[in-house]
Parts: sequence; C-alpha cells; structure tokens
Amino acid sequence: MPSGSVSGGSGNSKSGAKSSKAIQAAKKKSGGARGVPPQRQIPWLTIGGVAVVVILVAVIAVSIIPKAQDKQALEAWTPSESNQDPSGEIEGVLKIDYPAGVHIAPGQRVAYDQSPPFGGPHDSVWATCTGTVYAQPVRTENMVHSLEHGAVWIAYNPDLVDDAGVDTLAAKVDGRTYTMMSPYPGLDAPISLQSWGHQLKVDSADDERIDQFIAALRLNRYTYPEVGASCSTIPGSFDPANPPAFDASEPGPDAVPMEAESVGEMQQAPAGS
Amino acid sequence: MSENSGENSSDRSRSLLVLLAVAAVAVGFLAGFVARLPFEDSAPSTPAPDSVDVGFAQDMIVHHDQAVEMATIAITNSDDDRIRNIAYDILTTQQNQIGQMQGWLSLWDRALLPTGEHMVWMTESEDHGHGGHDATMEAEGASGSHLMPGMASAEDMADLRAARGHEFDVLFLQLMLRHHQGGLPMMEYGQQYASTTAVRDLAGTMVATQQSETELMTGLLAERGAEPLPMN
Repeated sequence: MPSGSVSGGSGNSKSGAKSSKAIQAAKKKSGGARGVPPQRQIPWLTIGGVAVVVILVAVIAVSIIPKAQDKQALEAWTPSESNQDPSGEIEGVLKIDYPAGVHIAPGQRVAYDQSPPFGGPHDSVWATCTGTVYAQPVRTENMVHSLEHGAVWIAYNPDLVDDAGVDTLAAKVDGRTYTMMSPYPGLDAPISLQSWGHQLKVDSADDERIDQFIAALRLNRYTYPEVGASCSTIPGSFDPANPPAFDASEPGPDAVPMEAESVGEMQQAPAGS
Repeated sequence: MSENSGENSSDRSRSLLVLLAVAAVAVGFLAGFVARLPFEDSAPSTPAPDSVDVGFAQDMIVHHDQAVEMATIAITNSDDDRIRNIAYDILTTQQNQIGQMQGWLSLWDRALLPTGEHMVWMTESEDHGHGGHDATMEAEGASGSHLMPGMASAEDMADLRAARGHEFDVLFLQLMLRHHQGGLPMMEYGQQYASTTAVRDLAGTMVATQQSETELMTGLLAERGAEPLPMN
C-alpha cells in the first residue's frame, strides 16, 4: 500500500507541461535550483525505498513506544511469564527451595534452619496477613504459614530500628493486603524481609530494595506454593489482637526437623515424644 | 521559455519529493494506528499496566479482600442468622470475583496486586466525588495509611473482631455498608471505561449486586436502630 502511493506519482516525464501557475510560483520561490540540469532524472527507486523504510520505522515505533513507557519504577520489579522471579536481580536476596504443606501439631516447635525462617514445616493455622502490623513478636510457626499463602513478612530487631524506622516500615504494610510485620527479638540485622523461599536483610527502613522485594514477591504466583489462599483468619483460630507468643528459646530435641516431609509423619511425632 | 520550464520542472520535482516524504511518514503512522485497532477493539492483546482494566482488577482485589475478611469474622462471631447469611453471600461472591480478576491478570501477565498508589487509573473524569478523597489519601499516606474509600482501618478491624452480640451486628453492617458505598465509584468507572468486555460486565454485576446488598444492609441497620457511618 505505501509503495503504491509512491509509484502512483511517477508521471515524471509529463510533469513539466502541466500547470503553468504552479511553475510560476515555484520559479519565484526557487533560489538555488538554477544550476541543476533541466533533464536530471528523479531517482524514484531511491525515494520509494526511503519511503518504505520510513514507513517501517513508523509502524515499529507506534507499536513499541507504549511498551517502553509501561516500564515504570516498581512496575519493572513485578513478576511476569518471562521474568518469574525478579528478586534474582535484587542484591542480597537469599533463595532456598522448601517443600510446601508440612504441618505441625498445635504447640509443637520447628527446628528452623534460618532466622527468621522463610520456609519449612509450620503450624496448620496461619497468622493474619491482611496488611497486619503486629506490635508484639508472634509465634514463628504461624508466620511461616502466611508466607506459604503468598505474604511478605517484614521482621525487625526492636533494639536496632528506631521509632521513625518502624513507622516507615509500617506504612509499607498497613492496609496493604498480603503483607505483615512484627518485631523479631535477636534478629542479626536491623530488618529482614521474608517471602516463601526468599529472604533479604537490610540495615535501613529507607533501603530501596524493600519496595523492590515486595513488588517482586508479594503474591507472586510463580514463587509461593498455595495459590489462591487467603490472608484472613477465622476468629477462634487466630486473633491478630492477641496472637500466640514468640518463643525466643532454642527449640528442644522434640522440635520438628526441617527434613520432615508429610503431614502424616508429623502427626506421629507428638505421640512418640 | 523552454529553459525556464525545465528549471521549474526540477523545482517541482523537489517539492514533490518533500511532499512525498511527508506523506510517507503520515501514511506510516496511520498504518501503524490502523494495524493496532483490531487488537484494541476485541482486546485479545494485554491491557497495559496503567490501563483501566489492570488498575480496576488490582485495586478491586484489595478492596474485595477486606470485605472477605470482614465477612469471615461475621460468619464466626455473629449470633444472627440473617447477618451470617449476608456475610456468607459476600464472602463467597467476592472471593469468587477475586479469583476471576486474578485469572485475568494472570492471562494478561500482570501483577496480581497494585505496586503504586491506588486508583491512579481513574483518570477520565473528576465527577465521581472522589476528588476530595485524593487529598485525604495523600494526607493519610504521610501517616502510614493507604486506604481506598470505604476501607476499614486496622483499628476498625480490631474493634470488629472484639465486638459481640448486638454491638457486633451493628458495627459489621456499618463497616460493610461503608465498604460497599466506597467501592461503588471504582466499579462504575470500570463498568464505563474498561476496554475488555469481561471486565465491564463483572464491574456492572458488582454495581448491581452491591447496590441491592446496600439496600438490604441499610434496612438491617435501621431495624437495629443504628445509623450508617459517614464515608471516610
């Protein structure tokens, strides 16, 4: 179609005799054209070629420019089919594969391999994670279950983060579903972010990697096991105003090991101990 | 005379050349837009991250998610079968709609939750009555809250979990009524401006069902001698 419009104007040999008015007008305006030989061939092939290239560039630009504009700030950190785990580009993220769905009995503890843990066996009841800011430390075995539901958990050392830092972190959590935050006594860094199988420890609440971690991993359907699970909890099973307490002591010899593989196995454990 | 006409012929060719180049660029752009139209009309291509379709789905997932949480509490804590029934209806309906919206976002290869500020996709008009809320939301943002209109605060949710009996039923109805009313402008906007038929249809369904639930809850509140809450 575009090349057709070019060849349609190729009546070059006749054009000289057509409109005397146009010729007069052109003569008045033209300054530098006098030295050009009158019989010069117009290179229609070249013009046509250039036109086709220009058209191609235009078509490509029109379809690509909006896509380039899409990439904005945090949007670039959200997961997609071609970039399923954008946290891989965040410096300092620790990744470990954990088997999902291993539950313990109420009151049992797990001998976690990380602190704070970000995967492994957990209580069958999850902690409320509907943008929930816990003022007190919460039992870890419940928090880990929320990670399995797609939540991001911001843990902080209350001795190493000041009130302003806590407020900054709370603003990233309060009212933002699938996030939760709690103090974690004895944490070896000021702040530690967890999602299922992922952890990032940072020194400051203003670290830009915090928002990147949340954008990359909160409800990331490629990285959390229980797709579709809720962050709401039923009253009676978990009360965010009065959650089960954090246990700072070392888990004893009866704690469930990380290698535990199935719910059935777990239910045997308390009977034997 | 013949010399002049030869010169003029060359001039004309030059201006023709310029005209042709301009025409080619214009035709190129036109062709580009025309080539895109069929994709935009039937929308099998993916809506952009800043589109109404994606913005509506992501923000409405957040809005619905809290309604599900409130309804979950009501099913457990209310002693009134009528309250538990409407709570069950809201819980199952809105959880289903969350699933539909997450399904679209997955097909569009978009994030399931918003990353930036809420409701920035509602750009088309100012007459939805939320213009005043933008300033409010900005102010709240500084103090750590990012709530859309109608959303309950963490304190509201704690109060709801703590309440029992008549007090619980009234608070649940008040919070859920405000929640429905606050979400209405978003639903109406999605119904009007989304490019995907399925999005417009679901938004329209939300408008219809939530308006009938709003009437029901207004009546239940009046029966209990209580007033609706002002919009936040």
